[in-house]
Amino acid sequence: MKLLTHNMLTSHVKGVTKGYPLIIKATEVKVNELEFNAQFVSRMIPKLEWSALIQAAEWLGQSQDLPSALIPDYENDEEFLRKVHRILLEVEVIEGCLQCPESGREFPISKGVPNMLLNEGE
Amino acid sequence: MQELDQTVTIGATVPTGFEHTAAEEVLEKLEATARVSKNRGRIYFDITTDKLLKVHQLKSLDNLFVVEEMQIDWQELANKLPWTNALEVWKLNNSIKKKKGRRKRTNPTKSDQCGNVDAKSTDTVPSDPEELCEDLEALEVKGNQRDVSSQPENYSETEKHSEIQDQESGVTPLKFRVTCNRAGDKHCFASNDAARDFGGAVQEFFQWKADMTKFDVEVLLNIHNNEVVVGIALTVESLHRRNITHFGPTTLRSTLAYGMLRLCKPQVSDVIVDPMCGTGAIPLEGVMEWQNSFFLAGDNNGTAVSRSRSNIKHILKRTHGGSFSGLPLDIVQWDLCNLPMRSSSVDIIITDMPFGKRMGSKKKNWELYPLCLREMARVCKPGTGKAVLLTQDKKCFLKALSQMEGLWWKLHTVWVNVGGLHAGVFVLKRTAVVFGTTPEDVMEPHTATGSQKESMKDGSL
Repeated sequence: MKLLTHNMLTSHVKGVTKGYPLIIKATEVKVNELEFNAQFVSRMIPKLEWSALIQAAEWLGQSQDLPSALIPDYENDEEFLRKVHRILLEVEVIEGCLQCPESGREFPISKGVPNMLLNEGE
Repeated sequence: MQELDQTVTIGATVPTGFEHTAAEEVLEKLEATARVSKNRGRIYFDITTDKLLKVHQLKSLDNLFVVEEMQIDWQELANKLPWTNALEVWKLNNSIKKKKGRRKRTNPTKSDQCGNVDAKSTDTVPSDPEELCEDLEALEVKGNQRDVSSQPENYSETEKHSEIQDQESGVTPLKFRVTCNRAGDKHCFASNDAARDFGGAVQEFFQWKADMTKFDVEVLLNIHNNEVVVGIALTVESLHRRNITHFGPTTLRSTLAYGMLRLCKPQVSDVIVDPMCGTGAIPLEGVMEWQNSFFLAGDNNGTAVSRSRSNIKHILKRTHGGSFSGLPLDIVQWDLCNLPMRSSSVDIIITDMPFGKRMGSKKKNWELYPLCLREMARVCKPGTGKAVLLTQDKKCFLKALSQMEGLWWKLHTVWVNVGGLHAGVFVLKRTAVVFGTTPEDVMEPHTATGSQKESMKDGSL
């Protein structure tokens, strides 16, 4: 699971209103190389919940001096964009789980795939 | 082998309904204008032979053939046709195929129901593609006049130029067969007759030997009313199974998946979700061609998820040669009717919805489709979001869609033939209306299904 995906996932346990962002508890993390595209990253940034991304990076120990708030004119800062590229697409959680911040319900991640299925009645 | 720079007409079969998207791809990548033929499911275009390799790399095309001529009086065809050019192209193509064939053999496909596009009568039943490849290699050995003990396992990786040279020296006659597709009301012959008679003429003209299973040259005879197209096949195995090695019960053809993806025109940084991905045919095709978008594939079924994962691993091994070890794609196991995603986070939703035949049931669709459409509307960006949805259960889909006019509007529909079933690809645009404010989704879900159950009683299902 990449952090870009994590940025869009939320808990949908019944009755939960503050299910975002899901807490990441990782037991195995991998870094894969992906081709860098500056335009992709700079266009993706406005679509993200930036604070959730920083939070996720911290949980994985991958903060790498990413700012907690976006700097103006980030589109032209290639070094910054490369850092964001790495954290969005190259860092992957292979094993672990995602935890709903409100209910505590845990969703396992296995072989890079989170299982978000709920049981009957949840 | 001499480089021929002649112009040749290539014909290609494409998923019926996607002739125009295929023509777009041809124009974009080969700079050739394609003609969409009256035979639905076929396009024709002219290229110079140096572009032949690129033709094989196109993603909308199922099968390729080189066209010789389009004539009306088919009886005298064999003698009049300019075979030389076409055969030169066929030889050139063979050297391209040999290189591809080697790679494909190390990844045997679990040969499944290889669905053919047209339901027209074909004269011969294509044998298993894997077997054909092996037979071609066995024939090659024969051409060298050595003792044939067909041992495909011992096939080596070395380049083989010998096949072409041996045939040019005229040692062994080529083997061929004729495959005939016929459509039209006024013919007094069946495709069998046409194939046989034409085959006889070809045999006499060339002194080739006819062989149904172990052939070098496949001559294609396409007759549509009073128009005849003769071609020589360039593909042994349809190009459409390219990405999938792990099939599921309803795996979508890659060419069809590609056609659907072209319809949504993915842009840089678009988030594209397939919430019922099955074995991942659509997201995989997407990530190969549109590397600047992000694909999210989801399914509720654990087996489907693990098959998708295997298919991705296979793609990674095959492409990039190890320089990049990741793809802009993720898989999640989830329930489509209750997506664990933030609202308005998705740019494009693209999926192959259960038809209710091999997967699911028509009855289930009546409940599933409205829930799907609502949840998709929630996660899709208002105003800019799009959905491209394939389904055979058109009645149910359209009914479900009409119940949420506030959220989606229909842009257009492409009618396609999927494994003999008449299906529709519906292209929808998400309206600017924010989810949770229209009367449709304020309405209780069970009231909606209640009224549907009543209309079910008339037995139309």
